[in-house]
Amino acid sequence: MQAPASLRKPLAIVFCDIAGSTHLTAQEGDLVASGVFREFFEHAGRLSREHHGLIIKFIADSFLATFENIDDVMPFVISIKSLLSRNSTFVGRFSGLYFSLHYGNVTCIETSYGSDVLGEAVNVAVYLNELKVLNEIIISQAALERMPSDYRTRAGASESRSFKGVGEVEFRRLKLRGL
Amino acid sequence: MAASDAEPMPEVVTEAIVVIDLVESTLTSNLFGWYAVGRHSLRDLRSLIGEVGRSRGLRCMRSTGDGYLLTFYDPQSAEMAAIRAVEAVFELLRRILTRNQEVSEERALNLRCAVHLGEVDVVPNDREGPHVSMAFRLEEISRASLPTALNPIPPEQFPLQNYVLCSEEVAGILSRRTKQWGVASIGLLRLKGFPGWREVFRVTSEEHPTDIGGGMLVS
Repeated sequence: MQAPASLRKPLAIVFCDIAGSTHLTAQEGDLVASGVFREFFEHAGRLSREHHGLIIKFIADSFLATFENIDDVMPFVISIKSLLSRNSTFVGRFSGLYFSLHYGNVTCIETSYGSDVLGEAVNVAVYLNELKVLNEIIISQAALERMPSDYRTRAGASESRSFKGVGEVEFRRLKLRGL
Repeated sequence: MAASDAEPMPEVVTEAIVVIDLVESTLTSNLFGWYAVGRHSLRDLRSLIGEVGRSRGLRCMRSTGDGYLLTFYDPQSAEMAAIRAVEAVFELLRRILTRNQEVSEERALNLRCAVHLGEVDVVPNDREGPHVSMAFRLEEISRASLPTALNPIPPEQFPLQNYVLCSEEVAGILSRRTKQWGVASIGLLRLKGFPGWREVFRVTSEEHPTDIGGGMLVS
């Protein structure tokens, strides 16, 4: 079998995790919860296209998206966050969103299930998300350096964390409130 | 007072936990009959597990309906229990390959295996605790799991049967302590009931690079 075509390039990688999904399923049942998630992911897909991004995959109550231009990331993140307060389906159902952002080289491939991205940079975005605080975006230093200066000045103090298989990663936190 | 309050707390030990699932056992039983085929297959599997496990520290063997939950114990070293468990699983796969060549197609055994290491509660002829659940979660991983994994291998590279998956803990032990097996990441996965992302590995046998543990079909 011929290996699938692949392309290695730098991308901004966004990972988003929904807080409160377990509570939603427990309170309203999995049928309602799956309908709510489906609608959320439809909106997320639409918003990613509007901001020139690509949702790579939805995984349970989270999604992975990529952007060629990092300047498109924050408008996308803000539009996703707005969904929770403006869309009646989501108001009161989710506690909030956890975002993380990294910039790095990934291998883009076409697979039997669609497009996917591979590489250590994906893991970095996901591991950063595990340091989550509600309604903050955790941004790696590599990503922050490429972002508009407004966001760089708003970002919190530099922190670092060592991740298994990746090593030390420097990052900053940016509060989404007020953006 | 709850009934459980009267019972002593179970002993806690670190064991290698193995979950073995018989591929398409229900389908085979439905097609060819439980009494004609199904029960013989399961009895053969139980017998083979006993043969390969006995000298390798097999301590618990409980039926899960279409497979077995096994645990391996080593009084000297928990890590060695994991190595013995992997050794037993590959020996089991090797014997099954031989057996499959000698029996009719409907009586062929094909397995999915998962190995994890962790603390378990010892209850009579059974084990309890989150590490047991983790081993079952690993065993449930299939090709269909890969689209929701991060950094996954291509689904086509994931075998359909006769393979061994393991947790990060076991992969680390195998990498450090033996050259007999290779471990390759299949991706980061979320396992139901467990927080965060878990890297899951496939164990391959370097002695038999194209063997059953590498995922070849064994019809």
